[in-house]
Amino acid sequence: MFKVLKGVGGERAFNGATISALALLSIFFVGIVVSLFTYTDWNTFMSALLSHEILFAVELSVATATVAAIISILIAIPVAYAISQTEFPGKDIVDSMLDLPIVISPIALGACLLVFFNTPVGAGIDDNIMKFVFAVPGIILAQITVISALAIRLLKSTFDSIDPRYEQVGRTLGCSKLEAFLKVTLPLAKDGLIAAGILTWARAVGEFGATVTLAGATAMKTETLPIAIFLSLASADVEKAIAVIFVLVIIAVVALIAMRKIIGRRYPI
Amino acid sequence: MIEIKNLSIDLDDFFLRNINLTIGDREYFVILGPTGAGKTVLIECIAGLHRIRQGKIWIDGNNATHLAPEERSIGYVPQDYVLFPFLNVADNIAFGLRQAKYPKTDIEEKVKTLVNLMGVSHLLHRDTRSLSGGEKQRVALARALALSPKVLLLDEPLSSLDLQTSKYLRLELRRIHKELGISTLHITHNQVEAEEVADRIGILNMGKLEQVGKPREVFFYPESKIVADFTGAPNILDCDYCRTVGRGLTEVSCGGLRVVLPHDGGRVERIALFPRDIYISAAQPPGPQVNRFKGTITNIKSSGATVRLGVEVGENTLQAEMPHDIFEDMDLTVGKEVFLILKLRRIRVFEGKDSR
Repeated sequence: MFKVLKGVGGERAFNGATISALALLSIFFVGIVVSLFTYTDWNTFMSALLSHEILFAVELSVATATVAAIISILIAIPVAYAISQTEFPGKDIVDSMLDLPIVISPIALGACLLVFFNTPVGAGIDDNIMKFVFAVPGIILAQITVISALAIRLLKSTFDSIDPRYEQVGRTLGCSKLEAFLKVTLPLAKDGLIAAGILTWARAVGEFGATVTLAGATAMKTETLPIAIFLSLASADVEKAIAVIFVLVIIAVVALIAMRKIIGRRYPI
Repeated sequence: MIEIKNLSIDLDDFFLRNINLTIGDREYFVILGPTGAGKTVLIECIAGLHRIRQGKIWIDGNNATHLAPEERSIGYVPQDYVLFPFLNVADNIAFGLRQAKYPKTDIEEKVKTLVNLMGVSHLLHRDTRSLSGGEKQRVALARALALSPKVLLLDEPLSSLDLQTSKYLRLELRRIHKELGISTLHITHNQVEAEEVADRIGILNMGKLEQVGKPREVFFYPESKIVADFTGAPNILDCDYCRTVGRGLTEVSCGGLRVVLPHDGGRVERIALFPRDIYISAAQPPGPQVNRFKGTITNIKSSGATVRLGVEVGENTLQAEMPHDIFEDMDLTVGKEVFLILKLRRIRVFEGKDSR
């Protein structure tokens, strides 16, 4: 069968097949968006979009996702650097463990967090230090738990692409290890850092499973955008759900355009 | 000055075994060796990029064995130069000076002096990624020299350049070295480059320093087969008689072989000729019989595109090399008599151990 596909005809058939797959998938996604447009009653859409509840959800989502993305990136920088640039026993195991949050269902992660806050240590933290369960800090913690693995993975590939000799030259020019990291490696990783920040932030905005499990779905309290969709659909308020979906789509599109602009813009190493 | 005593190190792919080496003040020392010999590891050990467990390194009289790279006062130019792509040329050169918190005016002054020394003053505000190989090399050198280091370490500084630029920069490296008088360690796999720039050469092979000496000493007096092979396995002949015959020519006798060569200096102690510079002819060549000898083939060894033949001439056995296809056409066998023609201009002369 493959013999038939040799030569120019085979090349055309192959290109045709791959482009068809791309076209089919594009049609599928465009169809979904078009169905949203056709379903929407624009008068009720605008009033839903500007409702107090949706504006609260936008504000809460942006604020929590921003805090979660900043904290995740700050944690991910040293962790990703350690995995990328240093050798230690059991590195492969640690590396695989850090991928777990990417493959485990976010609801399961949220449930794990909820279980933790029911242990004496967790309850102690929740009662005496900071309230996480069914509270806004819980949203941030749930988002961090889900997105930090993604941040680590993205930053690890950034650090992997940086030749360690840059840092070594920095050392011979008088930098300590920390200074070489701050003055040489971080500037080289700048685009990767920004891209990782945008992607993890967008992922945090869309986080639902872990958030709803740990922080609950209380309107006007722990109501992020995905939770607003959930609550709207639960109360059969489809117009409101669509308004929120549009907000999420716009955020995603802006984030992806920003990513495209940044990646590959500067020094390819 | 760099002093290395009993240095051994084992890394994943490379190693060094019991290296002992002293590089003097103002000396230009070249480590010559094949790929994988451990040359870069040696330079990285001196730069402080590997933890040393066996052996000691002194830089300018201070025990630097366990010092961090930033404490060693070295200038380091890695292979491919590794210029910082997020800084322009001037900021690359000024990087170390800013790190050492020099006043702004001093930095400007020093950068200006360095770009003038390197001949790159027209590139000051250029993006380093738009520079040619030769320009990058000069900028990397300026950056390494900015902090007036005690020693300069150059890792294959000319290997990624085209032949013309490389030849020119060899002269430039010597000029800069002469001007600054800084102890320099340069590593390369290129024998011609090593001979042109070095005060002394060290041959490194499989992590072991095989021989150290002046370039011509190492070439004419290889202490092992490894060294001889690395320098191209030339035919080296001791001369027992030498007389000037005028017009810039000298006649020498090497084990009964009378050879005329272009030389107008002192007494010739040894001569050398690469196997590829000896022609073989099945029939007696016409014309004057200068540097032409009759001999008998004693062995034939094929290696890739060439064939190497051992030919006994009087007391000597000379190695000659020829392309495989020519060898096939000539129908040469062991025991057959042939005529050797030595390429006059390719004969290298060694006057004595004191000559460079």
